[in-house]
Amino acid sequence: MSTPANGGFPKRENMFEREPARRVFAGELREIREQFRDGTDEKSPSYVLLPTGQRCNRVFLVGSMTEKKRQGEQNMFYRGRIADPTGTFFVAAGSYQPEAMQQMARIEPPAFVAVVGKPSIYETPDGTILVSVRAESVTVVDREVRDCWVLETAKATLDRLDTPSSGPDSVRATEKYHLDPVAYRKMVYHALSQLKF
Amino acid sequence: MDISQIVDRISQKIEAKGHAADKSKIEQKLRRLIEEFGVQPADAERTVLYDIARDFGIQLGNAAGPGDQKLINSVSTEEWVTIEGKIVALGHSPSPSIAYSGIIADASGAIRFVIWSKASVPVIKKDAWYRFESAVVDEFKGALNLKVHSGTTVKELEVDGVLIPVITPLAELTAGVASVRVKMIQEWDVTHDRMLQSGLLGDETGTVKFVTWKDEGMVRLEPGMVYTIYYALVDEFNGRHSLNLNTANILAEEGDIAVSSGASTFQGALVHIAPGSGLIKRCTVEGCNRVLSRQNYCPVHEMQPKFNYDLRIKGWLDDGTHTIDTLMQREVVESLTGMTLEESRELAENNPLGMDEVFLRMREKILGRYLRCEGREIDRRLIVNSCERIHFEPTMLAELLNRTGGEVS
Repeated sequence: MSTPANGGFPKRENMFEREPARRVFAGELREIREQFRDGTDEKSPSYVLLPTGQRCNRVFLVGSMTEKKRQGEQNMFYRGRIADPTGTFFVAAGSYQPEAMQQMARIEPPAFVAVVGKPSIYETPDGTILVSVRAESVTVVDREVRDCWVLETAKATLDRLDTPSSGPDSVRATEKYHLDPVAYRKMVYHALSQLKF
Repeated sequence: MDISQIVDRISQKIEAKGHAADKSKIEQKLRRLIEEFGVQPADAERTVLYDIARDFGIQLGNAAGPGDQKLINSVSTEEWVTIEGKIVALGHSPSPSIAYSGIIADASGAIRFVIWSKASVPVIKKDAWYRFESAVVDEFKGALNLKVHSGTTVKELEVDGVLIPVITPLAELTAGVASVRVKMIQEWDVTHDRMLQSGLLGDETGTVKFVTWKDEGMVRLEPGMVYTIYYALVDEFNGRHSLNLNTANILAEEGDIAVSSGASTFQGALVHIAPGSGLIKRCTVEGCNRVLSRQNYCPVHEMQPKFNYDLRIKGWLDDGTHTIDTLMQREVVESLTGMTLEESRELAENNPLGMDEVFLRMREKILGRYLRCEGREIDRRLIVNSCERIHFEPTMLAELLNRTGGEVS
């Protein structure tokens, strides 16, 4: 019964969707080279393209913060190095991320931390490409959270490798990156083998 | 789109009215609209038809053609249609320019209608059958509506037989008119003088809010009872539906319905805790319970020197593919953070940061942690009934190691 729904009334499409935080190993994130915006609006979300073929606006990562530095005078910000079993994440928090900055100010490395943030690519004047994560929050956690994250990120990475979508992001990733699935599986294996049963 | 087809259609309609149609002139007008002005062919057809009809003094309703006879569930917006159905609800006219408003139904469905006072129609009686010839369908807030205007012909029909309404599961409601079989599961406080009753109805597929406004003959539903509700109005707001029972025929029934609890489980990392989480103050005015701002200001009752403390956490839970908004109430917050309401209150009262201190401590305890939450999803927000931390699972490690194919794959 009821009248047909072909009136084209915008139902939920226009509602705000929060960008999910992708699970990515440092070994994959440091390889990203593609950055783009979805749309031309000033507020359109910006993404990086993961070598495994998925767009990514936000990441969730857990690792050991090994180093923390305060930089800048007028525009003070914190930088940190966070290690996972496959490499290092570079994390930064400035005055536009007051929550993360205050949290980083209080952390004494080494410590396990959980970071939510937005990845982006920078090029230094000498041409070096840097991938850095602008933190929204940095929280001290325990080893078990780190272990859960390695499991989850291993699964997410394998899922991306095993079920490549045929979407435009996937096609673009194939063009831009020379992904070696065997090397990625090895990286995942290596990360998992550092966990204890 | 072949313009000559439209030309033929228009000229046939004009000729049927006993006037000569100038095909080249029609084509010229159409081309101008379609090719020069980018008008959609269907719109251009109507515009040209109207123009010519006006020139000849032909009545517009008929000029546009009666529209095909259709079943009610197959009409769409901005269409001229002819339907036959039974008047299943007839309401008071809200305005002098409206003669009748109500619901007309056939075996396929039901639709709201409005008969303008300018339309010359016979006296419309509830439960009688009518033919509405060339009425116009339009849409308001997602619900289709039939407009009976001066160009519509309304005829009473002699129809025997019983009209059996189609029952719609709550999960499949769309804006318009619907019949449902439901159990009354909650009665809510009325929020308006004119409101008779409001609450929550449920069936096997979901739940829906309902409202009955005070009016002659309106009845209250009894919590726990099962009802079949014929021809209620379905409204939609922000993607949520609600039923207005004022037009409906309500039949109390025997039996019971196993109402869907709407329970769902979601697990992921808590990636954000929103402001307004932690220790909060609530308005003490009866039935209000709204959260007070820092200055003890209630959005409805203004300054409230007295208040009740409460705990809650509004946060985003994220599994890497989806993120959902969650709301945890006091019991869940206490068990998750290990901080009771009483302890939190003391902490806030004895700390220079006040309630912020509670927020900060809770954040350090649960942000970035893996949680499994079980609760009801309402309006895309998970109202959490219980929540636990997720622990490391060695079996998952073994599975994943196998999936990688070992060290050398």
